[in-house]
Amino acid sequence: MKKRYTSLILAAAVSAAALAGCGGSGTEAPASSKTAESGTAGQADAGELSGEITFWHSFTQGPRLETIQKAADKFMAENPDVKITIETFSWNDFYTKWTTGLASGNVPDMSTALPAQVAEMINADALTPINDLIDDIGRDRFAETAIAEGSMDDNNYSVPLYRHAHVMWIRKDLLEQNGLEVPKTWDELYETAKTLTKDGMYGLSFPCGTNDFQATFFLDFYVRSGGKSLLTDDLKADLTSDLAIEGIKYWVKVYNDCSPKDSINFDVLDQATLYYQGKTAFDFNSGFQISGVAANSPDLLQYVDCYPIPKIDPGSETQGIMTTNTPMVVWKASKHPEICKAFMKTLYDEETYVEFLHATPVGMLPAIKGIADTDAYKNDETIKQFAHAEEVLTEAADIGTAFGYEHGPNVQAGIMQNNHVIEEMFQDIITNGTDVETAAKAAEDKLNALFETAQ
Amino acid sequence: MGKKSYTRWLFVLPAIIIVIALFIYPICSSVVYSFTNKNLIKPAYKFIGFKNYVEVLKDSGFWLSFFHSLKWTVLSLIGQIVVGFTAALALKRIKVCKGVYKTLLIIPWAFPSIVIAFSWKWILNGVYGFLPNVLVKLGLCQTAPQFLTSGTMAFITLVMINIWFDAPMIMVNVLSALETVPRDQYEAAQIDGAKPWQSFYYVTVPHIKMVVGLLVVLRTVWIFNNFDLIYLITGGGPAGTTQTIPLYAYNMGWSTKLIGRSSAVTVLLFLFLMVICGIYFAVINKWEKEESK
Repeated sequence: MKKRYTSLILAAAVSAAALAGCGGSGTEAPASSKTAESGTAGQADAGELSGEITFWHSFTQGPRLETIQKAADKFMAENPDVKITIETFSWNDFYTKWTTGLASGNVPDMSTALPAQVAEMINADALTPINDLIDDIGRDRFAETAIAEGSMDDNNYSVPLYRHAHVMWIRKDLLEQNGLEVPKTWDELYETAKTLTKDGMYGLSFPCGTNDFQATFFLDFYVRSGGKSLLTDDLKADLTSDLAIEGIKYWVKVYNDCSPKDSINFDVLDQATLYYQGKTAFDFNSGFQISGVAANSPDLLQYVDCYPIPKIDPGSETQGIMTTNTPMVVWKASKHPEICKAFMKTLYDEETYVEFLHATPVGMLPAIKGIADTDAYKNDETIKQFAHAEEVLTEAADIGTAFGYEHGPNVQAGIMQNNHVIEEMFQDIITNGTDVETAAKAAEDKLNALFETAQ
Repeated sequence: MGKKSYTRWLFVLPAIIIVIALFIYPICSSVVYSFTNKNLIKPAYKFIGFKNYVEVLKDSGFWLSFFHSLKWTVLSLIGQIVVGFTAALALKRIKVCKGVYKTLLIIPWAFPSIVIAFSWKWILNGVYGFLPNVLVKLGLCQTAPQFLTSGTMAFITLVMINIWFDAPMIMVNVLSALETVPRDQYEAAQIDGAKPWQSFYYVTVPHIKMVVGLLVVLRTVWIFNNFDLIYLITGGGPAGTTQTIPLYAYNMGWSTKLIGRSSAVTVLLFLFLMVICGIYFAVINKWEKEESK
């Protein structure tokens, strides 16, 4: 009898171990209930600042990481009573980190973010307004659209640190060797990519791993190039419009004919690595491709260039597609917003700012006006070498918006981007052979149900 | 006497605090949340009764994941026991360099799962992976096999990796049990004319079945709950063909942020594993009673 009780207790313990791992943290600390001390950027003199802040950012690459650390060290040297602790996470990890952190009350004082996540943060009442910081730096120095992406009810919750745009990256040598032109339409891109898919090379990889949101972006490029959106005007998912269905079919065709089969599980790094290593002729990404190729295959750097995202109809108007104004935010739970704002302001000092941008030249375009024209900014070999690429990227960045923000800032864009429903849809079509219209309708319904939960 | 009693409690207090903080509290909060509409990033939530359970049980994705979990557990467990048992029996017979072989065989288990996951991801990558390219170069395949991206191959590939990863743990435990079997019983069996398989069945098995039984219980729970290996290698893809219940619960909680519903999944998982463990322990208790007779 005793043994039986012991066995039951042991059984309960081993099963409980399973449940414990899945349990919520439970330390409920509503962001809204936390005290957020008000602070005005620049209000306090540098010498008056005192306290510790934590800064989460996603600049995990060497030079950017070092530049931010250097700026923090300089700030701490100028303000001996201030301590800045920097923690870094990849962009994907960051999303998990802040969402779980919000539930457990473990959020930083300030952080970087992805634009589509800022609306979710505002919706969760997790951020503090920073209108005063923007005014202090100079509101008119930022693009209006960039500020608007992080604004709600006349409050500005984010300030863009840098910007970039998604464009089409090509390999000039491969096009020349095969007597091919730079494609201007999606059909031309498919034909060119198909021609170049030979001898271990792939024309264009189509990534649809559910650990990332690349397929969502790729479908968005197609739909927005036709002047439409994956969201309706009343912010419902729209995957069943004629253009969206056409786009889904297009990318499935690219996957079948021009892409490595493993790309069904690719995330952004898997995808970019193929281009860095010279395994793909085309890719869609930002100016970060340059530093990636430079690090992985420096011999190929001379053959790399970028062009605008293709159109459906060559004669149609050029549409703004995806611009990312990478923002910084101050969290409502911060006890020292004044330190956050004062430190953030120093990042825009010309010397610091240019040094930061030069950490990934062409990859990070200035978010404030006038910097790109300075000699200090222009004085970089990569920027000189990739003048055409920078021009294309700047033009694209000027007319684009953040993913899903063509209707203005909204929570739905973040949900669509971060829940991987579109990636699951593509995997379902490719792996199970599910009919495109059926899969698109199922994904659309699933997204709309998720939108409901965010209300 | 009273003082002694307090001292006793003082010594176990740290353990009690840890158990409450790391086991009891999360379990209780999971059960409570499972009856609410708790969203990961929203502070307010309300009681909604059994709605989460109904929604989960109505979801075909849950049942598909549950079926994958069962398949994953049964195949991995059988594979690990067969490989681990065979390796242990082989090691027991080896006389020379036994320690070296033992060390080599236990290597997979000594690595963190993240290292194992990324290593296999790299080895099996269809573009630049070592194994697919070798198979093509040897002429065994015309195109690189899609070990991790084909709807039919991904699951079985994961099972194979899991067997390779965890069989050494079975091997070490079974080998330890084998070492405790009295040699004279084998000699007596031999004198009685027992064949090798009879020695194995009538001498070895009775001595090690308790160890193997407990291993099966533990491995069942661990394999059923395995998350990291699948998440890191395939993320549950392609098209959910490798999605098990822990991944389903994770996606529900951290991707869609429906913590209430995710908690309902974990409570159901808890109840299921309780039943399975109850059955296992009933069998083990029966063995114990038979042995004590």
